[in-house]
Amino acid sequence: MTNDYDGSKVDLERFLVRYLAEERMTRRQLLQRISVVGAAVALAPIIAACATGGASATPATSSAPPTVGPTVGPTVSTVPTATPEPTPLPTPEAELHIWNYADYMGEGVIPSFEKKYKVKVSTDFFDTYEGMYARVTAGQTGYDITFPASTDIPGLVTIGKIQPLDLSLIPNRVNLGAEWANPGYDPGNTHSMPYMWWTTGVAYDTARIKETPTSWTALWDARWSGHIAMLDDQREAFAAALIQLKFSANTVDEAQLDQALTLLKQQHPLVRIYSVEDQTYMAGGDIWIGHAWGSDIYTVQQKKPSVEFYIPEEGSVRGSDAAVILDGAKSPVAANLFINHLLDAHVSAENSNYIGYMGPNEAARQFISKDLLDTPWINPDKAIVAKLQELLDLGLDLDKYSTRWTELKAGI
Amino acid sequence: MLGRRLGIGPLILPGAVWLALFFLVPLAFIAAVSFGTHDRFGRVLFDALTLDNYRRAFAPTFIPTISRSIYYAGMTTILSIAIGYPVAFWISRYGGRNKALLLILVMLPFWTSYLIRTYAWMIILRDNGVVNSILHGLGITGEPIILLNTDLAVILGMTYGFLPFAILPLFVSIDRLDEALVSAARDLYANGRSAFIHVILPLTMPGIIAASLLTFIPAIGDYVTPDLLGGAQTTTVAKVVQTLFLSGRDWPQGSALGFILMAVTIIGTFAAVRSLRAEVLS
Repeated sequence: MTNDYDGSKVDLERFLVRYLAEERMTRRQLLQRISVVGAAVALAPIIAACATGGASATPATSSAPPTVGPTVGPTVSTVPTATPEPTPLPTPEAELHIWNYADYMGEGVIPSFEKKYKVKVSTDFFDTYEGMYARVTAGQTGYDITFPASTDIPGLVTIGKIQPLDLSLIPNRVNLGAEWANPGYDPGNTHSMPYMWWTTGVAYDTARIKETPTSWTALWDARWSGHIAMLDDQREAFAAALIQLKFSANTVDEAQLDQALTLLKQQHPLVRIYSVEDQTYMAGGDIWIGHAWGSDIYTVQQKKPSVEFYIPEEGSVRGSDAAVILDGAKSPVAANLFINHLLDAHVSAENSNYIGYMGPNEAARQFISKDLLDTPWINPDKAIVAKLQELLDLGLDLDKYSTRWTELKAGI
Repeated sequence: MLGRRLGIGPLILPGAVWLALFFLVPLAFIAAVSFGTHDRFGRVLFDALTLDNYRRAFAPTFIPTISRSIYYAGMTTILSIAIGYPVAFWISRYGGRNKALLLILVMLPFWTSYLIRTYAWMIILRDNGVVNSILHGLGITGEPIILLNTDLAVILGMTYGFLPFAILPLFVSIDRLDEALVSAARDLYANGRSAFIHVILPLTMPGIIAASLLTFIPAIGDYVTPDLLGGAQTTTVAKVVQTLFLSGRDWPQGSALGFILMAVTIIGTFAAVRSLRAEVLS
């Protein structure tokens, strides 16, 4: 969820800049403290934790992608089991190359894998999702594992850019919640394992906005002119308009898109920036109200508690991504074992606690901090989830969005 | 004749290979892509070559972003010359023994990443940043004035970034200027101003044109500065090209737009070089 300036040098720079700007160590310490508290809470009656986890909080299935078929899946036992080792365990390769978003994995996840399997793991970060996608579709990348959006997975399978998983090496898939065990975008989880999921909505600074907005229209409020941010993501921005107009966020109807464009054009003069750096702009102070991803704002709150977030009452967007093994991966065994590692209940919970996203892992729930579970936009209840739409791969119809997006940005 | 050809051939070979490999081949690739189409996965197809991408590039949607890029690059060039000329002049005339040191100081910002320096400008310009804090502290403004994410911030950031590119060629041409010619003008009763306008300025014109080129060309394609310091109202064509390549998954359209931008730049460069040549010959 960050900006893109190519080259690994930039990762270091961004790290430095962020470190200076946001005092990340403080956040990290805070998150660690929270996870310790969360674990302590979880140590209390485990049976109760299992019961509530199983009963209440599974993400609903109603918003599954319509074009790729409704999500169907067998109900999997949510009682965590000891991680079974694949037998016989094939020897993993000596090295594993992972390609991920920055700050998108718990700090102990890779060391514990390296220790367990004696594999040297290297991680590179991609700066934008689309940059990664472009390189994956263009040819070999040299990486074994990456994390595409779930909606892109059918396409990547079709053009042979991701290879089938060796499910015999991934026994931890029994930990997946019902919705994720057999998702519409990848029936049988043959090519991908769900990683994390998130919601989109509106963040605002209560130090500046002394009311409690609940609707998308707050982003169109002229009182905040010059202090409004929109995500620099054409699909997300159009979804914000389409949902207000009660159209599908995946519409390809020209007339509906024109109406959405008109709405976005009305907003354009009020907008200060289009950016995907929602953490930076909500922490910075120039932006009072902004279109943002919920999990990013959860992180901002650790540093700046005056920032609040809501999922608009009209409904909103949700998304998920999944771990895949790229075509041409040189370390397929280690890659399958790593994906298995990600699905371990403790590892998955460590990821959630560190990055502020909910995973698909039902067994991990009992180890996730209470604070995260109680955050309504991170772990929304079924009624809210039912109002969330996934942004689907529209294929060539994406051009209908791109053309209008360029027109909007040009300011004509 | 043959001997001369044989003599020069090996000498230009490394340069020619370098140019072919790192300039002409990528350029040919972009040119080819700009006539293609794309499939639903964003891959480029060549089975039906088309001019549609160029036709669409002249649609009204792209005109404002192209003209905005030209405006920013133009303002940056003018400001860089306006600031760079006195600086170069001062270093050349009054730098004395410290000339080399002063020139190193001009280059010093390059030792830090451009991105970090641009982030520093964000901290200076934002609502609760350095400038607004000073203005507020002095009681000049009540509410912070919006500086970041405006035209002003983009032009300021680009001028800051490209100023060294202007100073160096200006310094070279000013430093080479024969002081005796200025003295002669003064002997012929030219005052300081007319000596500057009629002698110094024309003789340093090659430096001014070189500085303009070295500022304008990178400025028009600059993507980082408008993206970080600009905002919703400052979209440039470079940003549009990036959007088309990435979230638009439309490389052919992006390539066509990039090619047009390059054509504008090359035509401008040729015009400038031609006038430079005329200047030198006259």
